[in-house]
Amino acid sequence: MVNLQPYASPSYFIIIGLCLLPIIVGLYHGKRFVAYETLFSLVFIVLTFGGDHWHQGVALIGYVLYQLLIVGGYARYRRRNNQTSVFVAAVVVAIVPLVVVKVTPAIQVGSQSLLGFLGISYLTFKAVQMVMELRDGTIKAFQPLPFLRFLLFFPTISSGPIDRYRRFEKDYRTAPERAKYLQLLNKAVFYLFLGFLYKFVLGYIFGKLLLPEVAHAALLQRAAFFHTGLSLPLLGYMYTYSMYLFFDFAGYSLFAVAISYLMGIETPMNFNRPFAAHNIKDFWNRWHMTLSFWFRDFIFMRFTFFLMKHKLVKNRVRISQCAYLVNFLIMGFWHGVTWFYIVYGLFHASAIIINDYWLRFKKRHQGLPHNRWTEGLAIFTTFNIVCFSFLIFSGFLNVLWFK
Amino acid sequence: MNAHKTIWQIIGPVIVAVALVAVVFIVPQGFGNVSKQTEQKAAVSLSTNVFKGNKIKSQAIDDGYVPFIGSSELSRMDPLHPSVLATKYHRSYQPFLLGKPGTQSLVHYFALSGVMRHLKNRKVVFIVSPQWFTKQGQMPTAFDYYYSPLETIHWLTHAHDSVATRYAAQRLLTMPSASSDRIMKAAITNVAAGKAITSGQRTYLTTKEKLLVNADDLYSRLVSGRRLRHIQQAERQLPAHDSTAQLTKVANRLGAQATGNNRFGVKDSFYNLRLRGHNVQNLRQAERNFNYTQSPEYSDMELLLSQFAKYHVQVMVVIPPVNHKWAKYTGLSDKMYAQTDHKIKTQLQSQGFTHIVDLTHDGGQKYFMEDTIHLGWRGWLKMDQQVKPFLSRKQPAAHYRIQNRFFSRTWQLSQNK
Repeated sequence: MVNLQPYASPSYFIIIGLCLLPIIVGLYHGKRFVAYETLFSLVFIVLTFGGDHWHQGVALIGYVLYQLLIVGGYARYRRRNNQTSVFVAAVVVAIVPLVVVKVTPAIQVGSQSLLGFLGISYLTFKAVQMVMELRDGTIKAFQPLPFLRFLLFFPTISSGPIDRYRRFEKDYRTAPERAKYLQLLNKAVFYLFLGFLYKFVLGYIFGKLLLPEVAHAALLQRAAFFHTGLSLPLLGYMYTYSMYLFFDFAGYSLFAVAISYLMGIETPMNFNRPFAAHNIKDFWNRWHMTLSFWFRDFIFMRFTFFLMKHKLVKNRVRISQCAYLVNFLIMGFWHGVTWFYIVYGLFHASAIIINDYWLRFKKRHQGLPHNRWTEGLAIFTTFNIVCFSFLIFSGFLNVLWFK
Repeated sequence: MNAHKTIWQIIGPVIVAVALVAVVFIVPQGFGNVSKQTEQKAAVSLSTNVFKGNKIKSQAIDDGYVPFIGSSELSRMDPLHPSVLATKYHRSYQPFLLGKPGTQSLVHYFALSGVMRHLKNRKVVFIVSPQWFTKQGQMPTAFDYYYSPLETIHWLTHAHDSVATRYAAQRLLTMPSASSDRIMKAAITNVAAGKAITSGQRTYLTTKEKLLVNADDLYSRLVSGRRLRHIQQAERQLPAHDSTAQLTKVANRLGAQATGNNRFGVKDSFYNLRLRGHNVQNLRQAERNFNYTQSPEYSDMELLLSQFAKYHVQVMVVIPPVNHKWAKYTGLSDKMYAQTDHKIKTQLQSQGFTHIVDLTHDGGQKYFMEDTIHLGWRGWLKMDQQVKPFLSRKQPAAHYRIQNRFFSRTWQLSQNK
């Protein structure tokens, strides 16, 4: 059977464009064809996880049933009771499959868990979010079908952006007004073409043409600088990889957002000129935003409240430092259980803590110069620190030092 | 109404974009020849894009480049590598390297189908590794990686029914790549059954070919210059004069410099990267049962030979050895290797392919092999001693007599007693 990987080839865009036509025409006339949309989503999910990826398809079905049981079960329980232990148990159980998938390659080198499939992380974010919001009472009723629709919304199924249930459901329940939909359509076309430029032109140039070159050059310099391999080509690798990472992922995100818009769903944006960030905090408000906001709302904030409520740490500054550390450490582990992802997490935690010190220092010393030169310096510094973190993230140092 | 105007403003550019793409890819473009510099880079780049494409290969052959068809050994670019020697001494020929790890006869057969006519009455060097001749022959994953839809379509639309054609189509159908396109698969199935492709299939294939030709024309120009720079650096280590005695000295010196940390005479960096520690332990006696005497590869090679014969290509076949110490360690049978060598040579000689450089007895010489199975310093040099006169002097026309029996399962399995 055929297998179509999301946003991977021109034919994918042609097929998706044709399949979307009825939905677009319907929405233009203010109607949402729910049955057609459901069928169309199912077909695309089958195309993505069928064919020679069928084992992933099986894992996906099993996973969805499992989450349905947990979220549904917790919602039922939550109607009458609200014990913290049950809530914690529900969250833990919801992330167990993801943990297994992430830990398996670390224990058995080179092997992948049978539970895994493309996009399991993103589905887990959505499921855990449901449990947390049910606990908070911001989501009151649990309806299996809308939940499935949210979980399996196919434009974002493989790599986000991570939407929120209430926002998604509100978009889905109505069709946008014509003027509004035309705006969405207009943006969608722009994002699609910007995505083509990002992913298939710039991402290709940086990732496929330049990256192997600089990687090779950097590997030849293994013995440089007292056998640390620190060399100019390594610096070249750092910048090239950073550019590749951004254009590839931002390109993908633009496609996902554009296709969502065409379907009348305003999936949130993932990137907002991240390399123009003035500091690390600012960077995380611009880079992979739906992920960092998810972490902010469901890990950072919750952990902060937890510390304050139980008075584990008194000093407010220390509290936020602890929360940053936990936040980025979990993010590191989420990327994968390898030393470089974990170091990447710790690096960003340290960077943001140091940045916090600086921001407080600046507040106390109002007389510090502030002009476009200092702003330029801030952007330049942030950019380089971020690129360095991506060098860690790339895993290239692992190859350079240990392989 | 206003909304209608807006919608045209939105989809208008999309339609224009689609039309432009269609024009660029479907209408024949002829973006002109690639530059000499690109050609030079491509000849040593070992780029998969160049390998799968047609434009640069054809143009380079027309410009006098000589295809060196092989596999992983081509990337062993020490200063005695054929490309370095030919560049340094401004030889009358320049190699165009075709092959990477995993490219065997079947991959080459399809990848060369569009350039064969450019090779008419010309010369090629064909390095046949006995390691290709496994029970499975061409590995499907590698075939997939090097599969060129462009060249395969050319092959399909020019196929004439024959034993060779049917055999090739049947082999192609066993590869996953054949299933990547439904209509193409149907066409291949027709050819495999000795039938012509339908006119509908032909229309589809020629349309797709136009698209691929334009894509090749546009993208194959993006060739990395990394290996060319490497070659130019390697040149500096060669003596000023093209003399065997001096080159041997350099080969010995470089070989001695690069080896020494292991008992196999394998290049140190290769040993550290691939063998050190557990790996080498696990490989002790691991090749005891390897058998290269029975393989579909014999018939796959016959496909290439039949094409060479058809276009009167003058072929020099090189059969490399294995590192003798390594073979002893892994238990690879000398006798089996000799039988393989003999069977390959029988197939070649009985059909008139008489220019054979048989190096299989030289695997024990110092610095002959760069690592376990790949030619290095003195190995390259020894090969050069026959390749150079073959390519620089005019050769009498070859008389090939292709025999269909080499396409049979009987021959593949024959023990060649």
